[in-house]
Amino acid sequence: MSGATHPLVCRDLSISFGGVKAVQGVSLALPTGKVLALVGPNGAGKTTLFNLITGNLRADAGEATLDDESLIGLKPWQVARRGVARSFQDLRLFTHMTVRENALAATERGSWFWQTGDAKARAARVEAALEATGLSSLAESRAVDLAYAERKFLSMARILAAEARIWLLDEPASGLDLASRIRFAALLRAATARSVTICLIEHNLDVVAELADEIAFLDRGVVLAVGEPQAILRDKALAAIYFGERVA
Amino acid sequence: MTAYLANLATLAAIFGILAATLNVAVGYAGIFSVAHAVFFGLGAYAGAQLALLLVPDALLAMLVAALVAGGLSLCLALPALRVRGEYFVAASLGLQMMATTLFTEAKGLTGGMGGLVGIPRPMVLGFEVPTLALALAALVLILLATWLMARGSFGRTLRAIRDAESAAEALGKNINAAKALAVAFACAGAGVAGALFALHMSFVNVESFTLDQSVLVMAMVIVGGTGTLWGPLLGAVLLLSLPAGLSFLPFIPPTEIGAVQQIIYGAAMTLLMIFRPAGLLGDMRTGRKA
Repeated sequence: MSGATHPLVCRDLSISFGGVKAVQGVSLALPTGKVLALVGPNGAGKTTLFNLITGNLRADAGEATLDDESLIGLKPWQVARRGVARSFQDLRLFTHMTVRENALAATERGSWFWQTGDAKARAARVEAALEATGLSSLAESRAVDLAYAERKFLSMARILAAEARIWLLDEPASGLDLASRIRFAALLRAATARSVTICLIEHNLDVVAELADEIAFLDRGVVLAVGEPQAILRDKALAAIYFGERVA
Repeated sequence: MTAYLANLATLAAIFGILAATLNVAVGYAGIFSVAHAVFFGLGAYAGAQLALLLVPDALLAMLVAALVAGGLSLCLALPALRVRGEYFVAASLGLQMMATTLFTEAKGLTGGMGGLVGIPRPMVLGFEVPTLALALAALVLILLATWLMARGSFGRTLRAIRDAESAAEALGKNINAAKALAVAFACAGAGVAGALFALHMSFVNVESFTLDQSVLVMAMVIVGGTGTLWGPLLGAVLLLSLPAGLSFLPFIPPTEIGAVQQIIYGAAMTLLMIFRPAGLLGDMRTGRKA
């Protein structure tokens, strides 16, 4: 698969923790401007796969490439600067900073006392990200003081402000009410319309069915199936694994 | 009395620099070091040796002290910053204990337990200058630098690292570089304070650079308010004034001042953590239960 149609590609990625094979020979390709959902029971290796792509973990074997260039060996900040952004299950907001500062920090890549690029353009990106996530009126509130759904949207605002072209989202819709989920879906659709490529870990299968263009089903570190959402979601064998009804 | 107050003010300014610079590491970057006195000591010895062996130029002494303390902090920070949280506290504790021994044993450089004596009075461009003026000028410059840093992108980067290091890295921030720079700035500032201390006291020995001193500076930061501009300075003034104030109370025997001071310190810290967990000038909302 070429970097033009599938910017992020994993080939035979594997990692073990002691005797546990967390990810085993996973090969996946993320199509440009589409949503690929990773589905599977807890412990399937979904978040570990994210950690391998973003450089938080070093693969035992295999590689991940972005635009045909290997990401293996890069540090997380180097992967991020290549345009890959991620969210975390536990959000990891900058809790004692304001909403605006959270988003502003996402636009500032320089580690020293100065930033390259236009400060006004960065500020405009921040305002646009807060507007898109409905957080403009809370811009001066501290992240720690936000309600749960607002915190979720702040983690999305940071990714929006970072202007990443690959989004790796770890359970971004969990715990959201229906109205918030509708806003969240609109946010993702707007992003894919701008050719943002999204990989989504999600346990809410309604959200998956609504948003995903493709599903990869993982179990015990192995990709069991990749395909159209309806085909995967109707597969009774996969459903049995997902709901813990399989015979060991 | 004037000389006594001038001495107290000079020490308050010097310890204000120490607390303000430690606050950059602790309050902004979340790097809890209990080895700040090591870099205070390195600066003091560097400044003292320069004044004793070459020239008692205060500006040169502060510059050399900043370079020695800041430079050595980088050598030590780069491997040590690979560990986080309580592990870094333990690593810095080890550094503090090792440095105290080295300061005691490296007699050629530090004078050992006897210390370095007869350090000449500070001069600037050939004129003798009161250390108070130099310390206040250095304090103002460091507070200004801290203020500029805190309101800019580097300050945001440090606070992002403090709040969620992995998220900051996932947003493209080279956290090791930013943390090393924060530590170097903090330790260079401690070096400047050390040079001023040596020139002010005309004598330095290892007893000023022990774990007790590091803990005292940390207490100044916490009491005043971590991550605030003025909090550490307030903490320094309060914790230095306390023993001075107690010595004026006629009903406390001079031999008991130390014990009374410890009791007051302990009680004040306990009450502070209950009622103002973020310090006297810290954010009132911090540390409260939701």
